Amino acid sequence: MEFDYLATVLLSSLASASILLIATIGLAVVFGLMGVINLAHGEFLMIGAYTALTATQAGVPFLLSIPIAVAVTMAIGAVIEILVINRLYGRIFDTMLATWGISIAFYQLAVLIFGTVTPGIGMPQYSIKIGDYNLAGYSLLMIFVAALMGSFVYLLMTRTVYGMKARASIQEPAMARAIGIESSRVNTMTFSLGCGLAGFAGAILLPIVPATPSMGFAFVIKAFLTVVVAGPVTLTGSAIAAIGLGGGASITASFLTSVAGDVFFFLITAVLLWLFPLGITAGWRRKM
Amino acid sequence: MNMLQVLNEKAGLVFPAISILTGLALANSIDPYLAYVATSWVIFGLLGLSLDIVWGRGGFLSLAQTAFYGLGGYFGSVAAINLSFVFGSSVIWSLSVGMISGALIAGALGLIIFYARMGPLQSTILSYTFTLLLWSVSQSFKIRLGDAVIGGDNGMSGIPGIVLAGGTEALDPKGALTFTILVAGAAYFVTYKVMTGTFGRVIDCVRLDIQKTELLGYDVRRYQVLNFAFSGGIAGLAGALFGAWSNYLNPSIFSVQEALLVPIYVLVGGLGTLAGPFVGAIAIGGLSFWLGGGAVGGQTTLILGIVLVLLVLFLKNGVLGALRQGMARLLPDPNEASRNAGAVSIETGDLEGILQAAEEKEGPAKALSSAGLLKKFGGVVPVNDVTLSFEPGKPHSLIGPNGAGKSSFLKTCVGLYKPDGGHVTLGGEPITNATIYSRVHTGMGVKNQKPQVFSELKVRDNLWIAAFSRLRDKRQAHDVATTILDMLGLTEQADVTASALSHGQQQWLDIGMVLCLAPRVVLLDEPAAGMTNEETRELAKLVRILARFTTVIVVEHDMEFVRTLQGHVTVLHQGEVFADGDIDQLRADERVLDIYLGRREHV
Repeated sequence: MEFDYLATVLLSSLASASILLIATIGLAVVFGLMGVINLAHGEFLMIGAYTALTATQAGVPFLLSIPIAVAVTMAIGAVIEILVINRLYGRIFDTMLATWGISIAFYQLAVLIFGTVTPGIGMPQYSIKIGDYNLAGYSLLMIFVAALMGSFVYLLMTRTVYGMKARASIQEPAMARAIGIESSRVNTMTFSLGCGLAGFAGAILLPIVPATPSMGFAFVIKAFLTVVVAGPVTLTGSAIAAIGLGGGASITASFLTSVAGDVFFFLITAVLLWLFPLGITAGWRRKM
Repeated sequence: MNMLQVLNEKAGLVFPAISILTGLALANSIDPYLAYVATSWVIFGLLGLSLDIVWGRGGFLSLAQTAFYGLGGYFGSVAAINLSFVFGSSVIWSLSVGMISGALIAGALGLIIFYARMGPLQSTILSYTFTLLLWSVSQSFKIRLGDAVIGGDNGMSGIPGIVLAGGTEALDPKGALTFTILVAGAAYFVTYKVMTGTFGRVIDCVRLDIQKTELLGYDVRRYQVLNFAFSGGIAGLAGALFGAWSNYLNPSIFSVQEALLVPIYVLVGGLGTLAGPFVGAIAIGGLSFWLGGGAVGGQTTLILGIVLVLLVLFLKNGVLGALRQGMARLLPDPNEASRNAGAVSIETGDLEGILQAAEEKEGPAKALSSAGLLKKFGGVVPVNDVTLSFEPGKPHSLIGPNGAGKSSFLKTCVGLYKPDGGHVTLGGEPITNATIYSRVHTGMGVKNQKPQVFSELKVRDNLWIAAFSRLRDKRQAHDVATTILDMLGLTEQADVTASALSHGQQQWLDIGMVLCLAPRVVLLDEPAAGMTNEETRELAKLVRILARFTTVIVVEHDMEFVRTLQGHVTVLHQGEVFADGDIDQLRADERVLDIYLGRREHV
């Protein structure tokens, strides 16, 4: 096999792993810091994508539409947290069912508002040549975006007062309240941040993943599995799981078919959960 | 017992029977189109029942029920298309093949989920992924099987309707509804029978406290897989009925919208009620029919999504749960007796009789020993090269300051922790890597620090389930439970729910459950915790008598309690055996005082 073909496959696989990581980080933050699995995560991604799409169609430059998408999803996330999630802490399955209901309601709303087919946005197509092969520049850019997003969340959680409060609230809620941390406000903030990260992902991925009402479902399957495989050390674990699973599935898909890639993803997940029933980081001592 | 109590007891039989008869009567008198639509509600109710079995009773929220439903539908329909000419009946083939394939696939998924001991979250997500994966794979999956053509997102058409026997003519809508009600009714009564029988009782115990169930000697994972397979079979049966009803199947059967409906049916009707899902499915189905079916088609999903959120937030018990609560208010409070319970007083003669009978049946006491036992958690070594041997005759106490590794040692012997090195033997047999339930069968009885009782079960049933694990005979288990009940002086409270007992009484009930197992070696982890002085004295009496018949190991903090046991004492310190002797020797030992008081060099 030629070297440039191999390099192309590896780079594009790394790019798809990065896309998976971008879509997963928000979910990982909410799960890691609140113990809540947000089944509506994919729909927040979809809301982010539609917000960015609507903004660009209204004449806003694409780069500016991203912060708008983040703001909109953060606001919706905060409302959902206050209305629903807030009342369900400690009831993990109830939270899942409730967010599932929200997910399906958002999906249907999107169908009603935007219809099932929407145009993509026109973006200049840069491409990079490796030997005889062309790689889409925007996909490769996602590797850096994923790295930036990961570092941003890591620094936010470990180096800021908010991050420490958030981690304190989940580890020892009673103690956190006793020393004056308003854990319910911190939780609203965290959930909203997770939704904002999903909105960011939806917006930044818009040039490669067109906005459709059902785009959330497609993304969340893999994002859930990534977080579940990652286990308690969510951020580092998710990064490793996204590269391993997403990259592996993408390599499989480039040699076989895309369905084979999906099947690979599912089977490896099942094997990993068999070996590490509480996630690959269950035995780790670090916290983020 | 008055009429109302009998009715309450048999509510799961009486009301469904009345409903089925009403349904059959209506089936022949209503408009054919309504009969046609109503058939699908009954099918969805059956699908909801399958989730209630695994979630309401088994305690595992499975989001894969529509996967088994869809697969059962596809497999059953393929069989019906190709094999209907044999016996001239379509449903013989579709229903049996649908049910069996649903059960097998659920069983296989269950093997992965339960034997890997996945966390509850991991299990639910994996089941959801299974459904979503089928949804994406089935879109492009095309194959021809005999006369059946599975055409990816074009679906599979030409599925025969309900042909009972000897013909090609399918039943008309009224006949189809009658048939569906009969099949669903049969499935319900079989499920009711299973879930109120011994299998169902063990499944309830698994939901309430899986660790305790295994400590009673039940192979919990086998029960979980079987229960999941059973629910998969019911879902597959529903899928096959659905195929015959719609004559057409496509991948949307695996869709999220479809999967979403199932927990809604269960929650509307009432979780864990078995009949509830039918109530939920008919209520939701009837509501959308009344709202105009197709007219609000687009918004139906939206409404259902919001309904699910509201249900989770505000109505946890569902319609049947609310009715049951209302009925309970009319009945005398069964937990009344828990309030006038006196202090527990052990009948020495009864206890000796029980222990003698146990010895005759299960053989002499067995020694427990560990050799070089090692357990590490990262850098912490709570059990460090511990070699100890426990013989019958005198109670054996393990003491030591906090963090000495007493409980960890006990848990490693029991199998709750996997040792990193060394060996454990029970009566000379190596059990180092044996499962917990097989250790219990070999004669190990364990009581953990916290009282572990099955909160929703009656006191008598708690003891019965423990005795049944050993005896595998309902009659004998009942007799043993009654004897232990008398010995504990809890006869008055036999029909009280275990959660209504006081903390101290729950401790006694837990000890009683251990005695039901007739163990040859008994391990007690801080049994006196939370007991009054009076109760502690009774407990010491019980332990002393127990030690005459079996090997007894007690982990304890309470020095006074250890002294009254008059047995052998081992001091553990930082995971190692530190000193050994009787309590008076150890009290005179300066080194032991050092570690207890945190003085000088041994700290």
